Amino acid sequence: MGDFFQFGFMRNALAGSLVVATACSVIGVFVVLRGLAFAGAGLAHAAFGGVALGFLLGIDPLVTAVVFCIGTALLIQFAGREAGLKSDTAIGIFFAFTMALGVLFVGLMRRYDARLFGYLFGNVLGVTGTNLALMSVLTVAVLVVTGIWFKEFKFLCFDEEMAQASGQPTAFLSGMLLVLLAATVVVSIKAVGIILVEALLIIPAATAYQLTNRFGMMFVLSWLAAVVSCMAGLVASYYLAVPSGAAIVIVATALFGLAVLFSPKRRKCKVCGRQ
Amino acid sequence: MSAIRFEHVTVAFQRAVGIEDLSFELEPGEFLGIIGPNGSGKTTLLRTVLGLLRPVAGSVTVLGGRGRGLVEVRRRIGYVPQRRPIEPGFPVSVLDAVMMGTYAGLGLLRRPGKRERELAHRALAAVGLGEAGDHVAGHLSGGQQQRLLLARALVQEPEVLLLDEPTAGVDVASRRQIVELVRRLHRERGLTTLYVTHDVNEIVPCVDKVMFLNRTLRAFGSCADVTSPKMLKELYGSTVVVVEREGRPYVLVGDRHG
Repeated sequence: MGDFFQFGFMRNALAGSLVVATACSVIGVFVVLRGLAFAGAGLAHAAFGGVALGFLLGIDPLVTAVVFCIGTALLIQFAGREAGLKSDTAIGIFFAFTMALGVLFVGLMRRYDARLFGYLFGNVLGVTGTNLALMSVLTVAVLVVTGIWFKEFKFLCFDEEMAQASGQPTAFLSGMLLVLLAATVVVSIKAVGIILVEALLIIPAATAYQLTNRFGMMFVLSWLAAVVSCMAGLVASYYLAVPSGAAIVIVATALFGLAVLFSPKRRKCKVCGRQ
Repeated sequence: MSAIRFEHVTVAFQRAVGIEDLSFELEPGEFLGIIGPNGSGKTTLLRTVLGLLRPVAGSVTVLGGRGRGLVEVRRRIGYVPQRRPIEPGFPVSVLDAVMMGTYAGLGLLRRPGKRERELAHRALAAVGLGEAGDHVAGHLSGGQQQRLLLARALVQEPEVLLLDEPTAGVDVASRRQIVELVRRLHRERGLTTLYVTHDVNEIVPCVDKVMFLNRTLRAFGSCADVTSPKMLKELYGSTVVVVEREGRPYVLVGDRHG
């Protein structure tokens, strides 16, 4: 891989995919354990509205995407609750709305900007230094907040009713988890795209879920699966000249398949005799 | 001072009334059995004691806390909710799940340490799961999961214990064990216990007080008063048969066909 690091864009791509892998694999554990897959997909689509607004106003699309995604997360949590809606209904409403805003913004532009397409499918080779700085700041923020409320999030995912009964602010914690998810989506869209970000949120964590019965270990394995997927996908995209986002997701899915095949959870449980 | 006092409490949901005009008082250390048909407000009553539901009328006092003060006394209340099966693959050990009962007392940023681990081990031993700490929580049987929930309530060293149908969905042998366990813990730890069940046989003959709830208070008093054959017939209607054996009533609830 000698010639690999010669290019600045390749170094940015490697650093960018490490950052994306870290944010997605950590938040992904909560997504898998709490069943937030649809929220992840919804917030990724909300990012489209933000990116389109960025292009329309001529400012960094990632900045507008942060505002859009976090705003949508808060709307899902609080407006949804106020209206007495199930969370998937609230997600359905607000992600369609923000998508519609995105289409509106694209329509308001004088001419179609081809770079918008890059955000739909991602291009890790196009990650700039400025992008990388914003992505890193967001990732550090996500990790710090996760660290502060770590045991509370764990309790929330395991048993929300009990968490509430023992005095945990569960509405605040669920909202915070959606905000973290929103920030993670924005970290990832430049590299893997709005459509494929869901894969990095779910697949590495689902891979880890196959392999361990320990909560902390799930984060470690999820992170490893994500990093290996991103690195292998990136190398493949460089040498085989295939789109990087697709390559990353295909590697991640292959790892998941292996994890299912070799999962100790599929063997008979010694304690309870369950299959 | 009474441990729990309800004065003309009405709890309502968006459109439905959960509990209407309920008044009762419980002294510290008393064991209250709460019986009533499904949908009669039993769970609503427990959630009101916890301060999770606010009454629309009347006042609730628990361990000296009232109104918003109920949130502050919540830590001194152990709650065993109706069991829903734990997802078998969820990556949490039995010990981990019990330690969650200590989180509220730890506050933000502090991780459970040696002391919490020790408390959790002791709570597990108290419910007879001393050997199961390292097992995956979701791999336990129904009766064991119920005891895990009880251990999680005990780990916070509560003064009041609320149990919501702790024997639902558990086989007969485990059911008896759980009832015995709750009685022993109540006695040994001097708890004030509220035990919700729809099987009156579980709480007869040895609870201090029995409440029959059906949206509103239908009967409240000593075990002997509320569970006399005459009273039970009146409460349950003609669908039950009350059999008396060795001075103790047994209630047989049968489906009546045509």
